[in-house]
Amino acid sequence: MTRSEAEQHLKKIFNLDRFYDDQWTTISKILNGERILLVEKTGFGKSLCFQFPATLFDGLTIIFSPLIALMRDQVNYLNSVGVSAACVNSEQTPDENNAILEQARNGGLKILYIAPERQENQEWLDAVRYMNLSMIVIDEAHCISVWGHDFRPAFRRIINLVKLLPENFPVLATTATATDRVAQDIIQQMGKNAALIRGNLLRHNFSLNVVKVKDQDEKLVWLANFLSQAQGNGLIYTGTRVTTEIISSWLQFNGIHAINYNAGLDAESRKEIENGLQSNRWKCVVSTNALGMGIDKPDIRFIIHTQIPQSPIHYYQEIGRAGRDGKPTFLYLLFNPADMDLPTHFIKNSRPSIKKYETVINALKEEPLSEHELMQKTNLTQTQVRVIKADLLDQGIVKEVLYNKRKKYEYQFNAPPLNTEPFEKLREFKFHELQKMHEYVQTDSCRMEYLCQYLGDSNVGRCGKCDNELQTNHKVEMTDFWRGKIDDFKTSYFPELTFSLKGANLVDGVAASYYGMSNVGSVIHRCKYENGGDFPDFLLKLTLRAFRKKFGNQKFDLILYIPPTESGDLVKNFSEKISSVLGFPISHGLKKARETKPQKIYQNFVLKKDNVKNAFIYKPEEEIKGKKILLIDDIYDTGATVKEIGKYLTKLGALLIAPLVIAKTVGGDIK
Amino acid sequence: MNYEHEFAYWMALSHLPNWGNEKINRLIIRILDNYKISFAEFFELNAEDLKHEFNLNDRQVKDIEQAKTDLPNYSFLSESLIEQGFRIIPVNSKEYSSTLKQNLKVQNAPPILYVKGNTKLLNEPSVAIVGSRRASERSLEFTRNIAKRCAENYEVVVSGFAKGVDKTALDATLEYNGYSIVVLPQGILTFGGGIKKYYKKIIEGDVLILSAYHPNAPWSVGLAMDRNKYIYGLAYTIYVAESDSKGGTWAGVLNGLKKGRNIFIRKPEPGEKNANNLLIMKGAIPVDFYGNPVKENKNTIEEKLKDILSEKALPLEAVKNALKSEIEIQDKELRKILAGTDFIDSKRIKGKTYYFLKTSLPEQGDLFSE
Repeated sequence: MTRSEAEQHLKKIFNLDRFYDDQWTTISKILNGERILLVEKTGFGKSLCFQFPATLFDGLTIIFSPLIALMRDQVNYLNSVGVSAACVNSEQTPDENNAILEQARNGGLKILYIAPERQENQEWLDAVRYMNLSMIVIDEAHCISVWGHDFRPAFRRIINLVKLLPENFPVLATTATATDRVAQDIIQQMGKNAALIRGNLLRHNFSLNVVKVKDQDEKLVWLANFLSQAQGNGLIYTGTRVTTEIISSWLQFNGIHAINYNAGLDAESRKEIENGLQSNRWKCVVSTNALGMGIDKPDIRFIIHTQIPQSPIHYYQEIGRAGRDGKPTFLYLLFNPADMDLPTHFIKNSRPSIKKYETVINALKEEPLSEHELMQKTNLTQTQVRVIKADLLDQGIVKEVLYNKRKKYEYQFNAPPLNTEPFEKLREFKFHELQKMHEYVQTDSCRMEYLCQYLGDSNVGRCGKCDNELQTNHKVEMTDFWRGKIDDFKTSYFPELTFSLKGANLVDGVAASYYGMSNVGSVIHRCKYENGGDFPDFLLKLTLRAFRKKFGNQKFDLILYIPPTESGDLVKNFSEKISSVLGFPISHGLKKARETKPQKIYQNFVLKKDNVKNAFIYKPEEEIKGKKILLIDDIYDTGATVKEIGKYLTKLGALLIAPLVIAKTVGGDIK
Repeated sequence: MNYEHEFAYWMALSHLPNWGNEKINRLIIRILDNYKISFAEFFELNAEDLKHEFNLNDRQVKDIEQAKTDLPNYSFLSESLIEQGFRIIPVNSKEYSSTLKQNLKVQNAPPILYVKGNTKLLNEPSVAIVGSRRASERSLEFTRNIAKRCAENYEVVVSGFAKGVDKTALDATLEYNGYSIVVLPQGILTFGGGIKKYYKKIIEGDVLILSAYHPNAPWSVGLAMDRNKYIYGLAYTIYVAESDSKGGTWAGVLNGLKKGRNIFIRKPEPGEKNANNLLIMKGAIPVDFYGNPVKENKNTIEEKLKDILSEKALPLEAVKNALKSEIEIQDKELRKILAGTDFIDSKRIKGKTYYFLKTSLPEQGDLFSE
């Protein structure tokens, strides 16, 4: 097919007049059955490079993409221009997914989007055997490389698949962000002389800025100031889930329409916020970097980072989501020297100790185990188990085997010994990249030029738009007004306890504070473990204030408290005081049915759940029926205990159970 | 692995529908050895080339074209197999069992093997222990004895994972810390429970699970019969615990004897209801309860010769006469047997050859007195 023939076809289907040169080069190679890695900046039109040839092929094009939001957008678009496309993902019901697989088997689809994790799924593997396949596309292909900013173990299987595909079967890998090292790594893994096509990276409409601050409070002040007069809508990226919550609350406290988004939210809420973002429902969405990847929104006017990213490539990728419409777009990085601690900590602790690897290996030498069973056997956190098993899979020490559709891990005969050398290399490399990011903050030359050069595009001149080029010096003025406002905020900010638990009348509760945010945690610790006596009155006052903010004048029929493992009568006495202030009757009838261990010795939610399963009993049972119950405890971690009691009390006929705690921990292993 | 990128091609060719191993093997030889082209090049050939250069008929060309469109699907399947710790071993691999290739030849050797476990076992000295699914306790005890003997001799025990003799052979071998190959009558992906059961032995390298069928093929009677040839083929020596006069073991042994294989069979006790004696008559070598060849066996021609020659040395005609009541035999044939029997010697005296037993060589005068 010639270019002009192709462009006629392009006009007919996609209503576009012509291809960019890089697009046509890519497409003609695909039609010739070649393998290509295409590196082009966001907004270039990478998707057309596979969507167009997909319409010419007889069979199905499969697109592996890690981004559900992007899949949805592209499927909607393709269907609107009359190309039959669908996606299979974890947010659809199994019935919906099966219907789509059936359609693909029957030749009813041209394009199918799936997540790389799907390659581990039995239904998918059974179905794909019968599909007529024409092309494979790997979107966000930087996820293949450990040297990239977002290596994902699920892509390992995709690249293995590519190696096994017939020689002249077209494969296209695309990404917006790959350094030379990452690009060469991907090319080499794709095999069979894959070709590299790389465009330029400069974003002409970007104005890059760094705001240097002395502490967290100065960041809050700058954000409130900026957002009260900023044009358009944008995103704020923070370092942790908890900070998304705190910053969005702070902005709301200042009358700014903000919402927080993180991977801990359920799928429905996430979808809701993604849709709201599209229609500019909020001034800004405060998020971890889980949001925005692949969201096709043309007019994100600003992106603010309150935490320094791990590397320039992370940063380029994350700001790349802004300003696709080409209009002026502002990027800010707020930097406090202490912010280096978080990424440093992440890099240092990115891998568990060798001993923990050995624990996992030894457990798997006995029997094949699932991830869940591994957590039970080893008392390691879910994150640790996942990191370890990904490394063991990568080194061929274990394999992932489907037992009746359930994934289990098997140790392998003749397995090589664990090789820790790559771990060290990678750690050094990540420290190097973090250093480069720090250089970006400190540089006094053009910031865009710095980023592009780092990413392997050295033909970019100076941008003329960044703070260094314009000689802007961003400063924060900490006035008494702001100091007072921040104090008010901190004493009226109460973390929510949210549940999505079927089969229990458990409603969302509230905590008086985060465990580590103020002195609350250390006071609780002193009382519990250092004979510090009853919880002091300021905790009572704070907890009552949290109650009133969350529940207002809502009436409860009964106060129960969680029977302690270690802390004696502390919670009991505390609950009695709450009962006398609020005027709700208290009962001491909730008891342990058997001994439990302190929850904190368990490192993961599986063992925590097992520890408290069927561990509680209430006498007399009939007292619970039809009651609205306020359930009190001192510390809330994974919520396993509250959920267990919530289920139990629901069984006894409780109408509603609302948890109220003094402090919520941060981090944990909650999924 | 060098040929990993060719797995999809190997699988697509190996599972050509209703071709049979021989046609597939001959096609592969033609592609790789005669024409020396790659599989990728082969699949680019047009129908005319396939017909003329590879002597394929219209239906076969259609099969190849279908296989070509199935290639990406086989890529998916092979990825899933490798990911789950299975290995794919093509017939031209060094890891492929040379015993299997020698025994089954181009006519029957499977073009690829799917395995999990210690692939080195494929090229170790090997013994198959076979027998009925409903074998007697005595046969099972015999099976255990042979398994023990093999374990002590570092011989790999090949069995078929059926009830009775097969399972006993496997379990006893492992009990005695021996090595075993399990030959499945089904696709290897349909054997999850079995792999879980023998997990520790597999990862310690004592067991290899093997299938020659499509990885998703379910168990069937047809495959259960068919895989017997692979059990016999993978073994250097074959021990039969018990056979009926029909069924898989019977057919397998007869086929083996026809091909001149060394087949040892348990000498049954008087009154046992099985076909072991019948197979001995047909040439299987009787062994005792511990697997040692039975000495006092009047059924063999060698034993009869021992009787006949126990008194004195005799010439050919006299031996022939003594045998006459039971076996009619040609001079040439008899001479060959006498010469080939290790305990018989001969001496030419006065133009005539006399045969005598080596063990009890008396004085010459006595021996050859008229």
